[in-house]
Amino acid sequence: MVECSALALERNSHNPGVSISLDLEHLRSNGSLHWPRAGLNGIVQHDNNRITEDGAEVVALVLAHRHRSWRVFRRMQREEHADWLLEDIRDGVCQFVALEVSGVDRGSIAPRLSQKLVQVGKNTDVDQRWACVVGFEEPTAALHFKEPA
Amino acid sequence: MEVDTLNTLVTDAIWRAEELESCGRSSAAVAWAEVSTIEEDLARAHSVSEVQGRIARRGAVTAALKARDYTRAYALVDGYLAEENAPESLKTELREILEENAQAMADRFQYASRHHSLREAQSLASRLRSAGPFGMAA
Repeated sequence: MVECSALALERNSHNPGVSISLDLEHLRSNGSLHWPRAGLNGIVQHDNNRITEDGAEVVALVLAHRHRSWRVFRRMQREEHADWLLEDIRDGVCQFVALEVSGVDRGSIAPRLSQKLVQVGKNTDVDQRWACVVGFEEPTAALHFKEPA
Repeated sequence: MEVDTLNTLVTDAIWRAEELESCGRSSAAVAWAEVSTIEEDLARAHSVSEVQGRIARRGAVTAALKARDYTRAYALVDGYLAEENAPESLKTELREILEENAQAMADRFQYASRHHSLREAQSLASRLRSAGPFGMAA
């Protein structure tokens, strides 16, 4: 997964330490991404879409842990309308979080984020529903909350 | 096995199955069978009233269908429907998973579905898988 993330960034001509624009529930800030270099020599062995999607998963989980202190429980199957089940412990109370993740190699992340928020909104089990979309052309990531449907 | 270990295993197994499926590999069915087994273990580890218990129960059934092991999928649903304290919402979801799969199969095999019920066809397929063509003739 980390290698996919490295490849997704490096094929867009980014180097470790690159700045990333963050939109955490509409609160905008900047961060930086650091990774062990993957090199593009072996990129043909990977599926292009998997590089983008798996690469986005890494950035999203890092963001979720760094900025929300969430802990990963497990990956979920597609039919659960979310990719990851996490826990959010605040003031001693544990809440379950469903996180849907997607990546965009080129262009704006806004349309994809809208789609993913609709998707994760269909999850009925958890306490919180979130979507995270990562763009690799100009590194950017948005993590937004979805009210229950 | 500890729940954290099972969560790690199911995460890896789902990943592997999705990768194989996206490449169109026939071995994806075997990978989904493994997912179903681990989900079943997770379902045993969590009660039906827990979030993770409900996810695991749905997951065990969904993965069994993706593995084309219909007998197992129906058996799992029968078991989960019979559980004490199983919420009505989960029972409805489990029935819907089977119904959606049945509808998808009927749409795919329209001629056959006019002549055989899906349950009948799935039962034949299971017998063929387990005993082979000569076993069916016996």
